[in-house]
Amino acid sequence: MAKGFTIWFTGMSGAGKTTLARLIEAELKNREHRVEVLDGDIIRTNLSKGLGFSKEDRDTNIRRIGFVCNLLTRNEVVAIAAAISPYREVRDEVRQMIGSFVEVYVKCPIEVLAERDVKGLYKRAFAGEIEHFTGIDDPYEEPLSPEAVVETDTETPEQSAAQILAKLEEMNLIAPALPDAYSDEDDEEIRRRLEALGYV
Amino acid sequence: MGLLDRFKSKDKNRRAVLIGLDGAPYTLVRRFIEDGTMPRLAELVKRGTLLQMDTTIPDISSVAWTSFMTGANPGRHGIYGFLDLQPNSYKIYFPNSRHIQCTTLWEEAGRRGRRSIVINVPSTYPAQPMNGILVSGFVAIDLNKATYPPEFVPKLRELDYRIDVDARKVQESHDALMEDILKTLERRVETLLYLYDNEQWDLFIGVITSTDRLQHFFWDAIEDENHKYHSAFLDYYALVDDFLGRIGERLGDETLFIMSDHGFTGIEKQVYLNRWLADNGYLKLKENARSIEDIAEGSRAFALDPGRIYLNLKGRYPSGTVERAYRRALLDEIKQGLSEISANGTAIVKRVYERDEIFSGPRTDAAPDLCVQPIYGYDLKGAVNKQELMDRDLLTGMHTQDDATLFISAPRDDLRPDKPHITDVAPTILASMGLTAPEGMDGRSMFARE
Ligand SMILES: Nc1ncnc2c1ncn2[C@@H]1O[C@H](COP(=O)(O)OP(=O)(O)OP(=O)(O)O)[C@@H](O)[C@H]1O
Ligand SMILES: [Mg+2]
Repeated sequence: MAKGFTIWFTGMSGAGKTTLARLIEAELKNREHRVEVLDGDIIRTNLSKGLGFSKEDRDTNIRRIGFVCNLLTRNEVVAIAAAISPYREVRDEVRQMIGSFVEVYVKCPIEVLAERDVKGLYKRAFAGEIEHFTGIDDPYEEPLSPEAVVETDTETPEQSAAQILAKLEEMNLIAPALPDAYSDEDDEEIRRRLEALGYV
Repeated sequence: MGLLDRFKSKDKNRRAVLIGLDGAPYTLVRRFIEDGTMPRLAELVKRGTLLQMDTTIPDISSVAWTSFMTGANPGRHGIYGFLDLQPNSYKIYFPNSRHIQCTTLWEEAGRRGRRSIVINVPSTYPAQPMNGILVSGFVAIDLNKATYPPEFVPKLRELDYRIDVDARKVQESHDALMEDILKTLERRVETLLYLYDNEQWDLFIGVITSTDRLQHFFWDAIEDENHKYHSAFLDYYALVDDFLGRIGERLGDETLFIMSDHGFTGIEKQVYLNRWLADNGYLKLKENARSIEDIAEGSRAFALDPGRIYLNLKGRYPSGTVERAYRRALLDEIKQGLSEISANGTAIVKRVYERDEIFSGPRTDAAPDLCVQPIYGYDLKGAVNKQELMDRDLLTGMHTQDDATLFISAPRDDLRPDKPHITDVAPTILASMGLTAPEGMDGRSMFARE
């Protein structure tokens, strides 16, 4: 029976949370898990609409995401949160609530992030057009003991995703890859045996 | 005090034995009891109740045994056939034990501290960790991956255990196949009795699968007394009877169950649903197509073995063409068309089930849109390389859905009066051991009389 758990991505804007969340989502669905992604950008347009970027609002946002992750987790869904979640205390608070919790620190130096500038936000923040920007004029508190750390300035998205999946397997939260449970030779042998009984 | 309470209190530590006979039809078993072919079973049956049982739709072993072990319908456990398509793809994969989405009978027993021996249940490969010993059945390939715990492999080798009959032997000769069937049965029986006598267990499950192989290739021998293999067929069942007798001898106050996962009948014709779909403009295939992986653009429906029909829906498949809004109309049209397929003036489709009539649960999204149930004699196949709609080949026996077997060593009056379904077996076994069924089992204990 598939277990529910929460994968919590934390890291600065552009570090790779959404990218990795989607990669992990696709892979877990392939392995027959039920998966839901709660992406900060999307949550802020509905569940947390109207909230700003003060510490209080950020914490409220994280508590709401954590609340939904908890509901999903206890119903055997894999909940994947992808939000900056810069404050350690509220991250630990949702970890406590959910229990089956895998914190993944998506780590990337700010120079690389500013260089990447996926959404053009760093440029605007450095120009002083955005206030409370994490890593610039707002703090980011690194996790002290996350289950996994991926360093996206040196790894490809696929390498980072593979590392996270290996961790999930090691924690016994997911079974090893399904389509590859058989080797190609095994697949051929099974096909021949099924053919002999007229099943293919 | 209700019967269930009685089980709870008095029978807390009772053991249960289940012997599976893959594909043994109730009507044939009855007949062999009555005509003296199975005298030892006849004795056993006097000490309990022999019933005809319904099995899953589709009525093939991978689906049926998974419903047996989980007590759940495919909409819950997720196994719809020996092969299936990967999500959002036409790529075939072979479902294995890791794809089963539900708790098995022995996992549940294990959780309550009971130890199980589980030998040769189909669709349990690769072997998963459990409390006890498990040796997977069909389609297991490698004994190492088929055995839990791995330390038990040397003993199996010493016992010269055989995972399965090699049905390809029939290409060589029917004699070669028959020899393999007998040899496999002999090794299986020896291993089962060894485990029965030498291991600690609370739940013992041993399945004989050569019954199914015998019947696929030798069914024609049973009706025809002059058939070359007529007496070989009877002799085989006599050996099975002897084995059942040897289990019977050993019984103390264990509850004994004997079951099959489906029935059997003779084949008049094999019917190729993909041929029908192609002839009627629903399916387009690439040239020299070998499997449904070679589906071509513009298809509206396709079939997988045995009678599973899938609409090529937009969003569900990479080159899906059918809009959701058109689903209803297309289902009706195909159902109508299927009802008109006939042979010798008789409609060969008994009933077409829609997904929601027979499947429910979180895996329903992977279910076929339609499941076709044929009348006896017309075996539905998923092959794509056939030029004719119907033909015959080496197979002479086919599965049936309404004629599986269930024996319980309990008086008729202790059991529910209605016809059992294969999903009822797991909750019944658990009840006989004083255990309640876990959530997610669709079946109900046969002891649970209202
Ligand atoms: N190892 C890696 N893992 C993830 N992304 C990577 C990696 N290496 C490079 N990238 C690139 O980094 C960018 C990450 O962008 P992404 O939108 O995923 O960030 P984010 O953390 O979700 O940001 P935000 O918090 O603003 O939503 C992408 O362009 C991605 O291709
Ligand atoms: Mg993002």
